[in-house]
Amino acid sequence: MRRVALILLALTVLSGMAFANGGQEQSAGNDQAMTAAEGFNWKAFEGESINVIVNKHPWVDIIQPKIAEFEKLTGINVSLDVYPEDQFRTKRTVEMVSGTSVIDVFMMMPGNSLAQYYTNDWVEPLNQFIDNKNMVWPEYDLADFYPSALGAGERDGNNYTVPLLLETSLLAYNKDILAKYGVSVPQTMDELEAAAKTIYEKSNGKTYGITLRGKKASATSQWVDFLHSFGGEWIDDQGNAAIDSPEAIAATKFYGKLLREYGPKSAPSNSWYESISIFMQGEAAMIYDASVFRPNYEDPESSQIADSVGYAVIPEGPAGRVPHISNWGLAIYSGSEHKGASWLFIQWATSKKIALEGQLAGIPSARASAWNDPEFKKADPSPEWTEASKKSYELASPIWNPPVINVGEARDAAGSAIVAAILGEDVDTAAREAAKSMNKVIADE
Amino acid sequence: MVEKRVKYLFPLPALIVMGIIVIFPIGYNLVLSLYRWNLASGGHTSFVGLSNYVGLLHDARFWNSLRVTALFTTGALGGEVVLGTLLALFFHREFKGKGLVKAIFLFPIAATPVAVSLIWAMMYNYDLGIINHMLTSIGLPRSLWLASPKTVIPALIITDVWQWTPLILLIVLASLESLPQDPFESAHVDGASPLQVLIYLTLPMVRPAIVVAAMIRSIDAIKTFDLIYVMTQGGPDVASENLNIYIFHKGFSYFRMGEASTLAVVLFMLVLIVNILLAMLRNAGEGARRRKGGSAT
Repeated sequence: MRRVALILLALTVLSGMAFANGGQEQSAGNDQAMTAAEGFNWKAFEGESINVIVNKHPWVDIIQPKIAEFEKLTGINVSLDVYPEDQFRTKRTVEMVSGTSVIDVFMMMPGNSLAQYYTNDWVEPLNQFIDNKNMVWPEYDLADFYPSALGAGERDGNNYTVPLLLETSLLAYNKDILAKYGVSVPQTMDELEAAAKTIYEKSNGKTYGITLRGKKASATSQWVDFLHSFGGEWIDDQGNAAIDSPEAIAATKFYGKLLREYGPKSAPSNSWYESISIFMQGEAAMIYDASVFRPNYEDPESSQIADSVGYAVIPEGPAGRVPHISNWGLAIYSGSEHKGASWLFIQWATSKKIALEGQLAGIPSARASAWNDPEFKKADPSPEWTEASKKSYELASPIWNPPVINVGEARDAAGSAIVAAILGEDVDTAAREAAKSMNKVIADE
Repeated sequence: MVEKRVKYLFPLPALIVMGIIVIFPIGYNLVLSLYRWNLASGGHTSFVGLSNYVGLLHDARFWNSLRVTALFTTGALGGEVVLGTLLALFFHREFKGKGLVKAIFLFPIAATPVAVSLIWAMMYNYDLGIINHMLTSIGLPRSLWLASPKTVIPALIITDVWQWTPLILLIVLASLESLPQDPFESAHVDGASPLQVLIYLTLPMVRPAIVVAAMIRSIDAIKTFDLIYVMTQGGPDVASENLNIYIFHKGFSYFRMGEASTLAVVLFMLVLIVNILLAMLRNAGEGARRRKGGSAT
C-alpha cells in the first residue's frame, strides 16, 4: 500500500511539474503574441545556453564569426567546439554512448552515421518543431531544400537532420598542365588512365597524373564512385558484402593502379588534406575529390594553381558515370535539455541567408534558392564548377557508405583492400579478406 | 591493543585510493573482456566466456599488432639504450660548456610528445618534408618514410629514439657520477687500459641503472600511443598498428568494448612479462656480482 501511495505521490508531483512547465510555455507564448504576429519568436529561449560540436569544415568558417549575431538575435549563448574530422566522429560517439552528454547540437553526415544514431535513439526527431507553426521562422522555407538532401536525414517519416550543404565529387584538373601535354579532359575511365599516364611519363615523373585519397577508410568515400561506375556495390541483394565481386575488384585495381603508377608515392598516407595540398601545389594534374574543395583550389593565398582549375563529372566507366551526393547536416541530441533553443540555432544556421553566403564562398548549398539567386549567378566565380556540380547531382547515387550500422569498421575493411591495390599487392586476396571482415560486421548487427 | 592496530589505519586512505583508481579498473577490464559489448549497435552486453580470447587466435590483425609492438619496442629500446649509454659515457668527464651541451641534449624529453610527433610527421612528408629535401640536396634519393609499410616503423623508431634517448642518458649518467672512485684508482695502478676499465669495471657497475632505465622505457615503448596515433594512426593500412593503437580502434572506432578489453588484458600481460624478465636479468647480474665478490675474498 505504501508503495502505491508513493507512486501516486510521485505521479502527482511530476504532472504538477508538467503543468507548471506547460503553463510557463503558454504564458511565454502569449507574451510573444504581442510582439510577433506569427507566434514565432527568436527570443523565446532567451538566456539559455547550448553546446554545439562541429567538424573542421569550410562551412564552419562561415558561421563561426557570425555566432555573435545569433546570440544577439536570440539571447541564447552558444559554445561552439571545433574538432578535426576523425577526432570529431570519435568524440561525438563517445559523448552519445556516455548517456550524460551536455551536447545539444552536432554536425552529422546522415549517409554516414544516421543508421547508428537512429538505432541507438541518440537523435531527436525534428518534426515536433517542423510541424509546430510557433516554432518555425516564417521565412525559413523548408521546401527550398533539395528533397534528396532532406531525405537523407529521414527515417520512418521523421526528419533527424537538416542539411547544411549538399556535396558531390568532381574531377578537377589543372588546365595549364593538360594544355602543356596536349591532353583533353578525360570522358571515360580509359581516357582518365591514358591522361594520367601521358602526363606522368612526359614530365619524367615530375608531375603526377592524378592524386586521390589513399588513406584506408578515408579513401572509400571517393573510391565508391569508381566502384559504382565499374558496376560494383557495397553489398549484394542477399545482404552480403560484395566488395570482392569481379566488378569491385576491377574498380579497386584501377583505383590502385592510377595512384601506384601515376600518382604521389605518399598516397597510402594521404587523406583529403594531403591530396588536395598536392593538387594545389601544382604537383598533380588531376584530382577526384569532394566538390566543396573548389574554394581551396582557387584560393590565391594557399593555392599555386588558383587561376587554372577546371571541373568535370566523373569519367564514364563500364557501368556509366555514377558519382555520389552526400551532405552534412545538423541534428539535436535526444538527451539535450535545450531542444527549443537548439532548433532555433539549426534554423538560423541553415537559413537562406547563411546558405547564400556559403554558396558565394563556394560551399554547395542544399537550398535551391542559393543556386538560383541572382547574386550568386552574377558573382559565380566558376560557372564550370556550377555546371559540373549540377550535372553530377543529376547522375548521383545517394549511397556512398556501406549500408551497415558500424560504418567505420566496414570502411576500414574496404580501405585495407584499397591500400593493398595502391601498394601493388594481391588485390583479389585483399578484397576477399575485406569482404570477410565486412560480413563479420554485418553478422554482428 | 588499540595502539598496535592503529598502524594499519594510516596507510588505509592510500590503499583505498589505489583500490579505486588502479585495482578496480584492472578488475573491471578483466570482467569486460569476458563479455560481448558492442556500443555501435545498442550496447547490449552478453556473457561470452573466453570466446573473445579464442577469437584473437584467428585475428590476423592482432598478430600483426603484436609483431609491430615487438619490432617497435626492440628497435626503439635498443637504439635508446646504446645511444643513451654512449652519450652518458661521453658526458661523464669535464669539458668546457658541458652544462650547456647537456641541457641541449635534454630538450627532447621536455617537449610534448604530440607536438614532437606533428613536427616529425611534417619533416617526414614525402613531397614537402625537410628530411627528403636535405637528402635530395646531397644527391640521395627521397624516402617514403611514413607512407610506406617498409619504412614506417624505422621512421617511428627514429622519432622515439630522438625523444627518449636523453632519459636513458640522464639515468645512466647519474649512476656513473655516483660510482665509488677506489676501483678506478686501483685499476689505474694495475695498469688497465681505458677499454678494459670500460668493459670490466664501468659497464658492470652501471648495469643495474641501465636495466632500470630500460625497464622504464620498455613499459612506455610497448604501450606507445601518442607518437603513432599522431603520425600514422597505425597506417599505411595496419603497417604501424601496435597493440595499443589496435585497442583504440577496436574500442573507439568500432566500439567493440569487450574485444578491446580483451586486447587490453593481453597488453597488460605483455608489459608484466617483459618486466619480470628484465627484473630477472637485473637480479641475475647482481647475483653474479655477489658470487664473484664472494669468491674473491
